[in-house]
Amino acid sequence: MKKMKKVLCLLISACLAFTLAACGTSGSGAPAPTSNTPASANTDVSAPSNEAPVRSAELTIMMSFSSFMEQWETYCRQFEAKVLAEDKIELKINLEMPSSDMYDSILQARMTGSDAPDLYTIHSNNIGVYTEAGNLTNLSGEALAGKIFENVKNTVTVDGNLMAVPIESQAWAVLYNKAMFADAGVTPPNTLDELKEVCAKLKDKGYTPFMLAYQEQWVPQLMTALTLGGKVTGDVPDWLTRMYKGEASYEEMRDIFEVINLIMENGTSRAMEQGAEVGAAEFANGAAAMFVQGTWASNTIMTTNPEMQLGVLPLPVNNNPNCTLVNLSTSTVLGVYPNSTEKDLALKFANYVLDDNDSAALFQSCGFNPLATSHKYEVSSWVADAYKYVEDGRAYQDLILPSSVTDEQGKLMQELYVGSVTPDEIIERLNKVFQDANKLSQ
Amino acid sequence: MRSKKYENLNLLIYVFPALFVYIAFKMFPAASGLFYSMTNWNGINKTYNFIGLTNFIDLVSDSYFWQSVVFTCKYVAVMLVIANITALGIAVAIESLPRFKGLYRTVYYMPNMISMVIGGYMWRFIFHKVLYYMADNWGWSFLDQSWVGDTRYAFISIIIVAAWGAVGYLMIIYLAALQGVPAALKEASSLDGANAWQSFWNVTFPSILPALSICLFWTLNSAFQVFDVVYSLTGGGPGRATQSVAMNIYEEAFKGNIRYGYATAKSTVLFIIILIITAVQLRVMRKRGDE
Amino acid sequence: MKTGKRTYLIIINTFLILAGIYTLFPLLLALSNSFKTNGELLGNVVSLPKQLHFENYIRTLEKMNYLSTLGNTVFTAGISVFIMVLFSGVAGWKLCRTKTKLSNFLYSMFVFSMLIPFSSIMIPLYKVILGFRIENSLLGLSFVYSGLGVSMALFLYHGFVKGIPLELEEAASIDGCRPLQIFFLIVFPLLRPITATICITNILWVWNDFLLPLIVLSDNKKYTLLLSTNTLFGQYSSDWTAILSALILAALPVIVFYAVFQKHIIKGIADGAVKG
Repeated sequence: MKKMKKVLCLLISACLAFTLAACGTSGSGAPAPTSNTPASANTDVSAPSNEAPVRSAELTIMMSFSSFMEQWETYCRQFEAKVLAEDKIELKINLEMPSSDMYDSILQARMTGSDAPDLYTIHSNNIGVYTEAGNLTNLSGEALAGKIFENVKNTVTVDGNLMAVPIESQAWAVLYNKAMFADAGVTPPNTLDELKEVCAKLKDKGYTPFMLAYQEQWVPQLMTALTLGGKVTGDVPDWLTRMYKGEASYEEMRDIFEVINLIMENGTSRAMEQGAEVGAAEFANGAAAMFVQGTWASNTIMTTNPEMQLGVLPLPVNNNPNCTLVNLSTSTVLGVYPNSTEKDLALKFANYVLDDNDSAALFQSCGFNPLATSHKYEVSSWVADAYKYVEDGRAYQDLILPSSVTDEQGKLMQELYVGSVTPDEIIERLNKVFQDANKLSQ
Repeated sequence: MRSKKYENLNLLIYVFPALFVYIAFKMFPAASGLFYSMTNWNGINKTYNFIGLTNFIDLVSDSYFWQSVVFTCKYVAVMLVIANITALGIAVAIESLPRFKGLYRTVYYMPNMISMVIGGYMWRFIFHKVLYYMADNWGWSFLDQSWVGDTRYAFISIIIVAAWGAVGYLMIIYLAALQGVPAALKEASSLDGANAWQSFWNVTFPSILPALSICLFWTLNSAFQVFDVVYSLTGGGPGRATQSVAMNIYEEAFKGNIRYGYATAKSTVLFIIILIITAVQLRVMRKRGDE
Repeated sequence: MKTGKRTYLIIINTFLILAGIYTLFPLLLALSNSFKTNGELLGNVVSLPKQLHFENYIRTLEKMNYLSTLGNTVFTAGISVFIMVLFSGVAGWKLCRTKTKLSNFLYSMFVFSMLIPFSSIMIPLYKVILGFRIENSLLGLSFVYSGLGVSMALFLYHGFVKGIPLELEEAASIDGCRPLQIFFLIVFPLLRPITATICITNILWVWNDFLLPLIVLSDNKKYTLLLSTNTLFGQYSSDWTAILSALILAALPVIVFYAVFQKHIIKGIADGAVKG
């Protein structure tokens, strides 16, 4: 029996170690020297102790802006100060910025558990899925709703409800080097034939027309996004609706391959070894005259070469100038988790993102485009270029394709570049992926 | 003689801590994974339906999955041959040296210490910058290939990096086996007039057979699950040309349509493949043990 | 005969040196380029740096929070392996010494599960982690590692204990030792070689593991070395000098560890492989 006692002792201490580990996140007495702060906002911190003059609270915010970490850290500190001053709440914001390639998986894993962040960013294309899953709060009644520009607001609205705060919204198409264009004596083309001419003239002057950086699949995907958007808006406006009904085909979009081939044939070499960032840097250093890339790359371009004369031009798809359009879209949006334990503070933060006093500085320092009435600042010339097209009505709303189709387009563009698929095969495969996605969403 | 019951109880008490962490963090997740493979859960929604074997039926006609299986098999086959021949060659060469054995061994094992994520990024630097530099400046034009972008070369690159990471480990096992070959046997065979080649095949090779089967099965097992190298080097591209089964599962679970249930069905299939390999391995080993 | 031997040695050494170059190539290039300025790197990637620019390292050290992430990694690896050895040692010993149907069943269950690929349990495992409320906890992460690694360690211990004569334990038992005393005072010291093997293989595994900490730890202050390196890739993807210095810094601790314990590591790995 004595032996048993000893064993039990061991057992109990093992269990004890376990319970301690399990409580490791609940603050004081945590055995791990490194886990001295409560890790999750869901830990109950709302019980105020009598001595403390102010309540303390925590918010967990997860964002995919690892390149703007410092700006957002600063903004969170400002918000903490604001909350302390206005509500007498000692707020601590845990800003989590997982690396971008794993962001979606981490967020998803957190959503499935009881550990969802109070606020989180997603791509606007996923608003529908997240709304359906009950993971987004309806923000229609918030003050911020009145500030967002109407054309941007449409992109974050589901069934008439505002489901997220837009953060990155852009008008984008093809970036070009104005100095090279001037040197070759060409102006932005309106039709495919004009684009061919531009390419020829650029080559005569010894410039490579297009920068190709296809290592990351989303970059070549931009070509399909632009060409499909232009073609659909200018020629077959009901294509996407019919695609969702299973009544249309990519066959109708065959035009897009001519311009895509033109780009690939007139591009820089070693495209598969160039990442988006490296591509932007090389474009800035004069490797090519045009780059199918959004204005978000301007940060890298302008730091690499501050002298760069950057412009934006719409990409012609065929000889119908009505198809030559820029893309107006919202990419990153911020959502509020409906079951947040500090929902009031979370909503307050969501409003603070478009705050009348502080928001403009944040958006400007990150290089984001103005998207609300609180953003009264001068934009850079290339952004102004792009918005000029929007004002002239030469823009289309980003097509919302199933995300599996978007992924597939990126992969197929890589394959087209290396020559392992033909346009016919691409049409066939995209039709199939679209149908599969339709089947799943039913 | 104590009763069986008492013995079992006693056993459970000692095994409990291990059993607890094991069930909590391995067995339970594995079992629930199996359950999810029969649902249409997307990983986000709070609700999902039990759909029986539908996922497994879909799998049969999923050409991308089978394409990744084919790629993985090709990868496994090439790795089996290349990594093992290289490792065995190096081990035999080192063993035959009078000096510097330790130095060589130390150098070759080095890559195994480093995470393949880190190693993959270092190689990415080689493929993106260094080889092109050599091609452009030293006139080594055979290096001017799209090492990561072209379907064929991307496969070669992956093998180069994967072998870089695996050879050291295999070599250590072969070396240990070679050191276990009795010197007397080798001497006897050379006294019999056998040359080095003959004595290797007749004496050394049979006595390292157990090590060979360990290495072959280790390569098989780990190669079937390859992820890190592909992820950090090509990301599965161009297109899906270098997508391994593990990457295909990962994509299914986290990208595109986010079919988590379907992805677990795929990983169940991967598990079965690995199970079969292991069953074969055990049988082969046991047979050899009987002989 | 003598010249034959010499040519043989020359050929073998050439082969081995070539293989050595292949092995060290990425490491050395990463090292030499990490000391260059960005312009120098783009100009010539194969030359040695003209001057050692430690700025890259200083910047990276700061960006990665090197010391604290290193501390996190050491802590996680150390605690994981400690728990694993403790739990699986006792369990493996007892399983080996008990001859019942239950012990057979438990043992086969542990061994069987060694085959389960990590990818198939990733998400359900994360749900369990959230259930225990150990997300973002390094101690919690260590327990998860011990749960994942315990079957392999147990298998090795089980095999090793078989080779220890039972008489020793019986003698101790007659002398009045209690079972746990027997284990810790008599059996455990005899298990030292296999314990070393288990420690080494598992420390390396935990140290170099990427996916699990990636999903468990999202608080930057808890990041392990690999995670903070990976974050840096995202931020500086066009700046090779920053990336390479981060890679070197991430590889440095294991290389030092290797340099110091080289013999033990290689022996441990060989033993682990042969018995596993």
